[in-house]
Amino acid sequence: MADGLDRRGFFKLVGLGSAAAAAAGCGKTTEAILPYVIPPAHLVPGVATYFATVCRECPAGCGVLARNRDGHVVKLEGNPDHPVSRGALCARGQAALLGTYDPDRVATPRLREGQGWKPIGVADAEKLLAEKLAAARQAGAGRIGLISQLETGTLGRLMDDWLKALGARPRVAFEPFAYEALRAANRVTFGIDAIPYHAFEDARAVLSLGADYLETWLSPVGYAGGFRRMHALGGGIGGSVIHVEPRYSMTAANADEWLVNAPGTEALVALAVLRILLEERLGPTLPAKETEALLAVARTVEVEAAARQSGVPVARLKHVAETLAKGAPSLVVAGGVAVTGPGATEAAVAANLLNHALGNVGKTVRFGPNSALGRASRYAELAALIRAMANGEIAVLLIKDANPVFTLPPASGFAQALAKVPFVASLSSHLDETAARAHLLLPDLTPLESWGDYSPREGVWGLMQPAMGPVPPLSARREDAVDLLLNRPGESFPGVQTKPTGDVLLDIGRALVPGADKGPFRARTFADHLREAWQGIAKATASGVPFELFWEEALRRGGAWREVPAARVTLQPGIKPAGQVPGLAGPDGPALMVVPSSRYYDGRSANKPWLHETPDPMVQVVYDSWVEIAAETARRVGIATGDVVRVRSPHGQVELPAYVSETLHPGAVAVPLGLGHTEYGRFARSVGQSALPLLPAEPDPASGGLRWLAVRVTLERTGRREPLATPAGTTEVDHEREIVETVAFDEGMAGEKAGGRPPAHANLPSMYPDLKYPEHRWGMSVDLDACTGCQACVVACVAENNVPIMGLAEVPRVPVLRAGPFFALAEQPNPIAYLGKWQIGYGRSIHWLRVERWWDRGHPPAGTAKPGGAPRARFMPMLCQHCEIAPCEPVCPVFAAYHTSEGLNGQIYNRCVGTRYCGNNCPYIVRRFNWYRYQWPAPLTLALNPDVTVRDRGVMEKCTMCVQRIIAGKDRAKDEGRRPRDGEIMTACQQTCPTQAIVFGDLKDGQSRVSKLSASSRGYHVLGELGTRPAITYLKKATKETHG
Amino acid sequence: MSLGEEHLPPGPRPSAPGPTFADVNRDVIRTLGTAGNLYFAWMSVVALLLALGILAWTEQIYYGIGMGGHRAPQQWATYIVNFVFWIGIGHAGTLISAILYLFRAKWRTSIYRGAEAMTVFAVLTAGLFPVIHIGRMWLPYWLIPYPSERFLWPAFRSPLLWDVFAISTYLTISVVFFIVGLIPDIAAVRDGTTGWRRRVYAVLAVGWQGTDRQWRHYRRAYGLFAALATPLVLSVHSVVSWDFAMALLPGWHSTLFAPFFVDGAIFSGFAMVLVLLLPMRYYFNLYPYITERQLDMMARLILTTSLVLTYFYTCEGFVSWYSGEPAERASYLFKWVGVYAPWWWLQIFCNSVVPLVFFWRRARIHVPTLYVVSLLVLVGMWLERFNIIVPGLGHGFYPWAFGVYLPSVTEVAILVGSFAWFFILFLAFIRVLPSVSIVEVKETIPHPVRAGHAQHG
Amino acid sequence: MAEAAPTGVLGVFAHVDTTIQAIRELRARGFKGVTAYTPLPLPEVEEALTGHGLPKSPVRLFTLVGALTGTASGFALTIWSSLKWNLVVGGKPVVSIPPFVVIAFELTILLGGLCTLLALFVLGRLPRLHGSPRYDPRFTADRFGVEVFCPPDQLRTAEEILRRAGAEEVRA
Repeated sequence: MADGLDRRGFFKLVGLGSAAAAAAGCGKTTEAILPYVIPPAHLVPGVATYFATVCRECPAGCGVLARNRDGHVVKLEGNPDHPVSRGALCARGQAALLGTYDPDRVATPRLREGQGWKPIGVADAEKLLAEKLAAARQAGAGRIGLISQLETGTLGRLMDDWLKALGARPRVAFEPFAYEALRAANRVTFGIDAIPYHAFEDARAVLSLGADYLETWLSPVGYAGGFRRMHALGGGIGGSVIHVEPRYSMTAANADEWLVNAPGTEALVALAVLRILLEERLGPTLPAKETEALLAVARTVEVEAAARQSGVPVARLKHVAETLAKGAPSLVVAGGVAVTGPGATEAAVAANLLNHALGNVGKTVRFGPNSALGRASRYAELAALIRAMANGEIAVLLIKDANPVFTLPPASGFAQALAKVPFVASLSSHLDETAARAHLLLPDLTPLESWGDYSPREGVWGLMQPAMGPVPPLSARREDAVDLLLNRPGESFPGVQTKPTGDVLLDIGRALVPGADKGPFRARTFADHLREAWQGIAKATASGVPFELFWEEALRRGGAWREVPAARVTLQPGIKPAGQVPGLAGPDGPALMVVPSSRYYDGRSANKPWLHETPDPMVQVVYDSWVEIAAETARRVGIATGDVVRVRSPHGQVELPAYVSETLHPGAVAVPLGLGHTEYGRFARSVGQSALPLLPAEPDPASGGLRWLAVRVTLERTGRREPLATPAGTTEVDHEREIVETVAFDEGMAGEKAGGRPPAHANLPSMYPDLKYPEHRWGMSVDLDACTGCQACVVACVAENNVPIMGLAEVPRVPVLRAGPFFALAEQPNPIAYLGKWQIGYGRSIHWLRVERWWDRGHPPAGTAKPGGAPRARFMPMLCQHCEIAPCEPVCPVFAAYHTSEGLNGQIYNRCVGTRYCGNNCPYIVRRFNWYRYQWPAPLTLALNPDVTVRDRGVMEKCTMCVQRIIAGKDRAKDEGRRPRDGEIMTACQQTCPTQAIVFGDLKDGQSRVSKLSASSRGYHVLGELGTRPAITYLKKATKETHG
Repeated sequence: MSLGEEHLPPGPRPSAPGPTFADVNRDVIRTLGTAGNLYFAWMSVVALLLALGILAWTEQIYYGIGMGGHRAPQQWATYIVNFVFWIGIGHAGTLISAILYLFRAKWRTSIYRGAEAMTVFAVLTAGLFPVIHIGRMWLPYWLIPYPSERFLWPAFRSPLLWDVFAISTYLTISVVFFIVGLIPDIAAVRDGTTGWRRRVYAVLAVGWQGTDRQWRHYRRAYGLFAALATPLVLSVHSVVSWDFAMALLPGWHSTLFAPFFVDGAIFSGFAMVLVLLLPMRYYFNLYPYITERQLDMMARLILTTSLVLTYFYTCEGFVSWYSGEPAERASYLFKWVGVYAPWWWLQIFCNSVVPLVFFWRRARIHVPTLYVVSLLVLVGMWLERFNIIVPGLGHGFYPWAFGVYLPSVTEVAILVGSFAWFFILFLAFIRVLPSVSIVEVKETIPHPVRAGHAQHG
Repeated sequence: MAEAAPTGVLGVFAHVDTTIQAIRELRARGFKGVTAYTPLPLPEVEEALTGHGLPKSPVRLFTLVGALTGTASGFALTIWSSLKWNLVVGGKPVVSIPPFVVIAFELTILLGGLCTLLALFVLGRLPRLHGSPRYDPRFTADRFGVEVFCPPDQLRTAEEILRRAGAEEVRA
């Protein structure tokens, strides 16, 4: 009884049985209930209001609808009107909510005091900043610097004007992934410094040279939508997709053909394809001059040599050329980390030439609606600023939503240079590594709380409006009687009191710049400024419409957009043949690929626990970072998955747990980016490792961009083990069990055309009469051919249904009989991550929906026990199947599990006593149990969905098909005196799916989409032979690959 | 000379040729005398372990079932194993007192009291585990059909509810059986003691005087109890087995389970009887009553049930192979070669191989052998339930959810605590109640007659 | 008060056969109120008391009634409560008899057993606060007793019979 369990405490503990009983009923959030004296506008208690705004988790700038309940946002959804995301949202977008409710966000201004901080009033902070700026201005021009993230909207322009007015250095809009190789290539080939829009949806064949367009590349959600249209069988198109990458990324896994190439040989592959294309005259006929020019470039590579170096056989290269030629219009994209290293620009140029040779430019490659990323600052500009900082030329540096200390390789010396700046002010709303080194924190509001706009590409202006007020102060919470018994102090949150950065800029501008009252800073608030600025957009998009109407409409739709015609671009003369691709620096060893994580991007999403607890799409690991090592390399070095490996490069070394991969090219190792924070809040701090110390800071000479593929590394075993936590058990596809089903492409396509019949097993004979459904029978269809495994639905489900965070489980702090995992808890660098990893790795995840990655090695050759062939990934969204003959229901002794009259498999939390029999008896293992009480430290409580019960420890839970949404939809229909329309009620997972793989609806209505899909020829029920009659029909994935 | 006598402690030898009526009363009442230090030493050790178990349970109640090693897919684990194990133990007693009574097996008379006590206490222990197991242990009464304010009723389709009825019925009937058997003996103790003890026993004896009228109804009632208890004892473990057989899970969904479980229960029950009776026999010097014949018969029963069990193991394997169902086969193969394989083979060794020594008579009456075998059988039977539940759940239909369960400190502490709870009850019993039936032993020894020749009743 | 309250006499025996002999004598002489005390159930004693075969005991009637009540209430409870709260589970009918049989069976045994216990106490006149004053503690050990209730005028003959049969001692 070491720490603090005195006799009294012990007796309290012993007396808990009854207290716990009392507590069992209580919900989680017991806050003071105060009636509104004057109810705020558009706030009807209990009724959700949706505000259209823009997701700022990455530069893609998707449109979102923020669902506001009782004054705070509880859910983010895709904005169907928005041209970029078309109603979908990715996992990071769903988790953006947690940024606003981060318990560790910088809520009020702070001033550095020694090692720590002291609070400072908003006015004082602003005054201090103004003084410092004035002083710096006196000292001379160019002594003020500002680093921001990519801000293409009004705030960006305001910053620029402001900096100009103050005689400061031009703003650096820093994006770690600025795709400078693409811009360089476009300059070379088309003489235009921009990143075009890639119309995947219009292509019939796609060749991707390492571009992970389904994960992070440019605009993953939008491109995923396009990909689904051109590739999925459901659309009746079924175009072919070829992916060239050393690593089996999620994008590679979704391609029909994946060509493993040696790292940095994309250019050779592309040029070889180009050469075949031209020499065999497969493509459309071009002007002789152009053909000559292209051939001149293409002939610099020998097809055989290219095949030898890249490891892609000649036959394959030919096949690629033919596929592209057949599938006109086609699309060739180059990108990803593979195309940041040596030969990056060459690869991008080659891709451009291919597009030109195939006549895609202007069709699927559209200059005009250019991506905003084309306007990110060059790395060179940042490097220059760093030099200036290091030389002490910078007196005041402002930083807004950029974290170079973390996202730049340490070799860049940014941190040291930053230390030389006498006054650093951070305007970011989170205490990231860079902000932690600042002298003044004057935090901006989070995007959900602020006015603003963002233009993700030409012709699209996303408008941001405050979807809620600043997060209010929350007093210490007492969860329930048990808390009172142990006198545990609850968590409290001070409440956000700060000034939007826009307002700060305007005020200071007015203060420092004489006559600014009439100039650019005349607006009192940034909101007014924004309104003014939008007058111009109004003219551009809706000339003739009164501005008021336009503004209202823009607020409603989440922005304004217009079609931007594709600009005519011409092939530049004298394109230099790709020279010999320079090799990688470093000792002889595998090339290091530092890949952006589809969960954390460059690390800015690492403070969102929902993302930590969502498995990586391919590796299926939670929380951790790892080094992916090819099986044969691992065998040589003698390491297994989970062994800690010392990865050493000329620039530094990092120790990471190994993930041994059967698919990775032996010439490469891969490390995901985004973890290894030393600051950035309790959820991000000291989780995983960053691989950046291994990278050089010198830019790629050709393009001037940062290189994520730049060095070779050596691997040594350390002898330590850090097992990676995964919720997955056995992921080998067993073709004797009807779980992950595939169909040959042609057969599948024929079925699509012919129409289908209900899946076999759908109605196995039953001893009992069929159930009657008076009104509806809710059902779902999941198209495995469309699912890309991106995990967006998982996070959406977590957000909608108050699924707890495993890392926040309440486990023994009183050391009475500590069970195994809790011994070390206190000593952990990050207890939350440790606990989350352990619980999820131990099969205690409470996710109602999981997207499983399976390895399919093809049907076993007759006679052999073990299937052969290279593993192909299959993605399987698994959730409660809402069986008609549900095995879980009759075993419940208290009717907690029962069948509703609308075909749902109901679960009554209050009635559940926790025998867990249903969990055993569910063949799909989708029932989840509350092993502990899980906590929501303030203000995370505000993220809870008031429509969904928060479950206490000891009860079983599972997917409800978002019954709260069903009820809401039925009520709406009832109010309007009609039946619910098909597609009106959407589950959270369906709503967010970028590829619309999930369709929910009423199976009783024969005309509903779900009924039609459920009768598809590709339809089947998982483990259908058990006769459980699931309400969810899966549609088989159509495969083109041939197993070798 | 019999092996028993080497162990005879110094003290009065039972008067040859056999004990008389008076001896029986004397020998049995002697066991209720004031306890020695050894007894209290045992008591305190057991009490300490019990406290440990209670502490672990308290912690689990506060933090949640997560304190156990449970996970998906093994949402059931050692608590259910212990439940089935203890219920199984609880079978020998009623079997001896009911079925053997109906078969008029005379050798049962000297051991049935101890066995019945064991039954009652084992069921009391088993009854704890469902409550320990469930997620909200403060709500188990929701499984009892009572007119609640909202007229919510339990689901009688659930095997768990059948359990509730079977176990509570079994407990009640066993207790009644136990008490009824005790009444005449308590009367005997009453008449054989003095002072406050006499007064206490006088109350417990409910005024029994052994008149012909009392005996008449007593015999008839006892016979009827036996008749009722016989189907009950067979039904209880069948019902318990249906918790598994009614589930969909490969390896569980089998019609084999009911007889399989009943046989296993009797098997383990007799092992436990031996584990308890052999020390009693030694310390209370009950050699004249628990003779080689008793040991021999019980050893034979253990051997028989073990052979039957082996047959069932074989069937299990054959059925899962013959089914042709991949999940079924995989699940069974997993037991053989999977993570838990060592425990599976240890179970086979303990339950199917070890008892074979009882083919030799010397082993059947050799006390140390009997003891070791019984202990191994108990281990084997615990493992059998473990191997049904944990690997079975761990290797079901859905490979993505396969997983390995590890017991936690809490679970181990609670398991130990349950043994402590059982032994504390039993130790208390042997000091306050006659652990050998005075009346029934008399039925089996020569009745006193004036005519010289012995006459058996 | 036609006749004086019947008094009694008790004979203590050391042997089964002598006890039985005494009882036979007494019955032969027409003594009605004879009670035997034995440390164990002895059918022959009961036979001797009745004079004709083993006496019937109505205990089984209690058992039968109890058991049947159990069965009935088992089915009643399950069927009624299912209808009362008719929830569909596992696509099965609300009233599904097979599982209810288990409940009915268990209740049959339970009530049957409890009624048998009741019978034992009712018919055996238990619990008894004051037993016969002549009761001897040895009757639970190794002695047998024969108690005769009779009008005072017959006491002498009864004592005579008991003595002759071989009673160790005879108490009035």
